[in-house]
Amino acid sequence: MFIAATIAILVTMALTLARALLGPTLFDRLLAVNSFGTKTVLLISVYGFMTDRPDFLDIALVYSLINFLGTIAVLKFFEFDDPGSETYQEDDF
Amino acid sequence: MIDWIVWAISWILMLIGCVFIVSGAVGLIRMPDLYTRLHAASLTDTGGTIIISLALILQSVFVFGSAMAAIKVMLILFFTLFTAPTASHALAKTALLCGQVPVGTDGKPILDSPEEATLLARSRPADYRSGQDAEQAKAEGRARQARRDRKGDGH
Amino acid sequence: METLVANVLLTFLVFIAIGIIVLRDLLGAVILLGVYSLIAAGAFVVMDAVDVAFTEAAVGSGISTILFLGCLSFTQHKQKPRGHDSLAALIFVVITGGLLIYGTLDMPHYGRADSAAQTHPELAVRFLEQSASEVGPPNIVTSVLASYRGYDTLGETLVVFAAGIAVLSLLGLKRTRREDEAPEHAPGDTPSADVDERR
Repeated sequence: MFIAATIAILVTMALTLARALLGPTLFDRLLAVNSFGTKTVLLISVYGFMTDRPDFLDIALVYSLINFLGTIAVLKFFEFDDPGSETYQEDDF
Repeated sequence: MIDWIVWAISWILMLIGCVFIVSGAVGLIRMPDLYTRLHAASLTDTGGTIIISLALILQSVFVFGSAMAAIKVMLILFFTLFTAPTASHALAKTALLCGQVPVGTDGKPILDSPEEATLLARSRPADYRSGQDAEQAKAEGRARQARRDRKGDGH
Repeated sequence: METLVANVLLTFLVFIAIGIIVLRDLLGAVILLGVYSLIAAGAFVVMDAVDVAFTEAAVGSGISTILFLGCLSFTQHKQKPRGHDSLAALIFVVITGGLLIYGTLDMPHYGRADSAAQTHPELAVRFLEQSASEVGPPNIVTSVLASYRGYDTLGETLVVFAAGIAVLSLLGLKRTRREDEAPEHAPGDTPSADVDERR
């Protein structure tokens, strides 16, 4: 069961990666990258169960947070041209 | 008996989850424009993660006998449920703000210009709920843009 | 199965590296670099180097993405198109890469039983048995890092600290200059007049 899931996740990762490399706009790449991060989290969780060591879940937990952080940082950069900017207005979101 | 039931249920859940994520990736490849791809990818990501995590929770409780692993999977699921939709929303909003015009079912852009997409992104969601007061919303968006420009100059 | 997963992940790495080289858009390259280190971290997990994977994910995918974005906000998003590709640089890079790969040939293969760590287990046994009484922490990796090879760690930390200060000073320098430039039309400061005179 875990082997089947691992293979399915690897196939998904390959397709997502193709979109990240092809993607005509930066947003396509970013979308693919975000989706890829979710797949990595799933892969590590399922892999941990596959090798009888569910301890690996800690790493998956950290990844899911880091992936979100990276995506939001890039998006903030898109809008304000500066990931450390604090000049955004309440109107924008 | 219970082993058999857990085995069957987790197999079914895992297979459904795999179908979800693989179909999401196919959608990511085959959909025509950014927003449809976003739709395909984000929905199936969240759905697939939920279903696969349920299978993993079943496995960790009944097969591995580890409550800690189940709690960790639940935490992963919890964070994913928060972060994935937020990231998708931020992505769509930023794309609109940067002037990515959505394409309609007939293959034509549904907005006139990238500037209009930016204005749409700056307007309140309620402005566009009916589509009747679109002109007013656009005007408000322009006013906000002007205010923003003024503030930007003063900076 | 583990070999398969590791090999697939490493193949992904190759494709992403080629993508990063080909891409002219620097922002896209930064985004792909984030995936690169995410996959590298996944490969480390598969190879049982969990602590390295943690570091790779936090530093490679988290902090360096944000650092690169900070750099990009001072410069441009697009790589400058160059008319020629330097042949000498290509030869140099290929030779360096070949030497590095040649260097790895001396290393024991992944998981080999006749690697030095397996044939001379005295050190590992000593760490496992004595570290609790000799150093103290229950985590053996921590006591190796902080005590048995403490000077090495100290040197590493110094290098990283120096690099951090250098980066901060570079970025800070740029920012103050930017603020000085901001009042372009200030009286007495007429850069445009200089340009006119030179013409």
